[in-house]
Amino acid sequence: MKSAPFDYHRPDSVGSAAQMLAEFGEDAKVLAGGQSLVPMLALRLAFFDHLIDISRLDELKGIERRDGTVWIGAGTTDATVGADQEICTAVPLLTRVTPYIGHFQIRSRGTLGGAIAHADPAGEYPAVALALDAEMEAASPSGQRHITAAEFFTGLWETALEPDEVLTGVRFPVWTGRCGFAVQEFARRHGDFAIAGAVMAVELDDDDRVARCAIGLLGLGSTPRRASGAEAAVAGRPAGEVDAEDVGTLAMAGLDDIPADLQGSADYHTRVGAALVARSWTEAITEASREATNA
Amino acid sequence: MELVNKFRVPVSVDQAWEVLTDVERVAPCIPGAQLLSVDGDEFTGVVKVKVGPITVQYKGKAFFEEKDTSARRAVIIANGKETRGQGNAAALVTAELKDEGDSTSCVLTTDLSISGKAAQFGRGVLSDVATKLIGQFADRLEASLKTDVRPSAAAPVHAEAPAPQAVSAAAQPDEAAAIDLLSLVAVPLAKRHIPPVGAGLILGLVIGFALGRRRS
Repeated sequence: MKSAPFDYHRPDSVGSAAQMLAEFGEDAKVLAGGQSLVPMLALRLAFFDHLIDISRLDELKGIERRDGTVWIGAGTTDATVGADQEICTAVPLLTRVTPYIGHFQIRSRGTLGGAIAHADPAGEYPAVALALDAEMEAASPSGQRHITAAEFFTGLWETALEPDEVLTGVRFPVWTGRCGFAVQEFARRHGDFAIAGAVMAVELDDDDRVARCAIGLLGLGSTPRRASGAEAAVAGRPAGEVDAEDVGTLAMAGLDDIPADLQGSADYHTRVGAALVARSWTEAITEASREATNA
Repeated sequence: MELVNKFRVPVSVDQAWEVLTDVERVAPCIPGAQLLSVDGDEFTGVVKVKVGPITVQYKGKAFFEEKDTSARRAVIIANGKETRGQGNAAALVTAELKDEGDSTSCVLTTDLSISGKAAQFGRGVLSDVATKLIGQFADRLEASLKTDVRPSAAAPVHAEAPAPQAVSAAAQPDEAAAIDLLSLVAVPLAKRHIPPVGAGLILGLVIGFALGRRRS
């Protein structure tokens, strides 16, 4: 099936892309890697009169360490993110989550900013951004602003971006110290939208107590979710005393819109989600503890 | 797919019933809906829903299958067809009102079936979208009900005098808004809980669900 007709625009700067968005309003859509948008157009689920291609803008590409954060240009491809050494060291969750995104052809074209702006509830990068309290950087004709991840994902495929705003970059905090990270995701076939997934970051103090814990969930609601209840429950506790299954159960407790679909009932999604959180907890704690031994 | 929604409106059961069964009152409360014609108990409308990049528009009919005034129970059947595709949506909505003195509780049971590409793409998010739309609908209906019934609720004695004004004041903006709703839906639907709302959901549902909602 082919897309409905549209006009293709390729502005030479973010500024002019934002101008075009302001001009065309809701008839226009930003095209980055096109790995979600183009299928939606081809299936005629989405209709836009104007596509504004930002995929060749160099100013949207790049990975930079800035203070305690890593800035990644919105137009940086998944493949680049997944292979980057700086990211592997500073934000390991991004590196580990990347292989779960679709297939390698998709990762070659798909972009980090595109995934976050598309805000699929089963998306991997949105879950990491939310878990790590990343900050989104957006540009519009009226200037630039920053949006926290907690405020960014507002609903199914909906974000806090205004119609004339272009997501230009994302800033991920760097966790230092005795940290462990883990990604667990379950799909019937690799590359399918996940039935559920969990991304986990844990930091231990010198006494093996949980200094901080961040848990991002995907596929378990209309947006990526944070397992705040579970995070709070483990904070300050000796890691060895925490039961992984309890963390899984607690992580599911606050969720109010777990989907029921062809893949299974809401109860099934919940059980899968709890199991994945439990596994990722164990994996992350093991990794963080190993750091201690090495240090 | 079956959706159950419960809410409460601060009006008597008689008032809620009256609004709920008045198509022209309820239709403007449905996000993205436009009532095209009413013929007795049968009405035609268009519902356009936009969620993120996906837009689905349905055109169809709905009618009251049952209106049991004594039991305060209404059953609405709605069928819609995608205007730009071959998908269909059908809904059987049962609304039951319960008298709780000063307020009325409403239980809506919606049996929704959707076919077409939008459904295939849905991945279980449909119910979330439906929930959001109901939430919006409920907000509007509640606002409309409150404006409308203020006289009797606040000052029963003077009900007659202020009422006509209140009615016209409330009704007009709503009518104007009905047209704008088409574009309104494009505004990101803020995530919200189902608010305590109005009885009119039924109708809303009817048109909203049946005709309109499946894009997920």
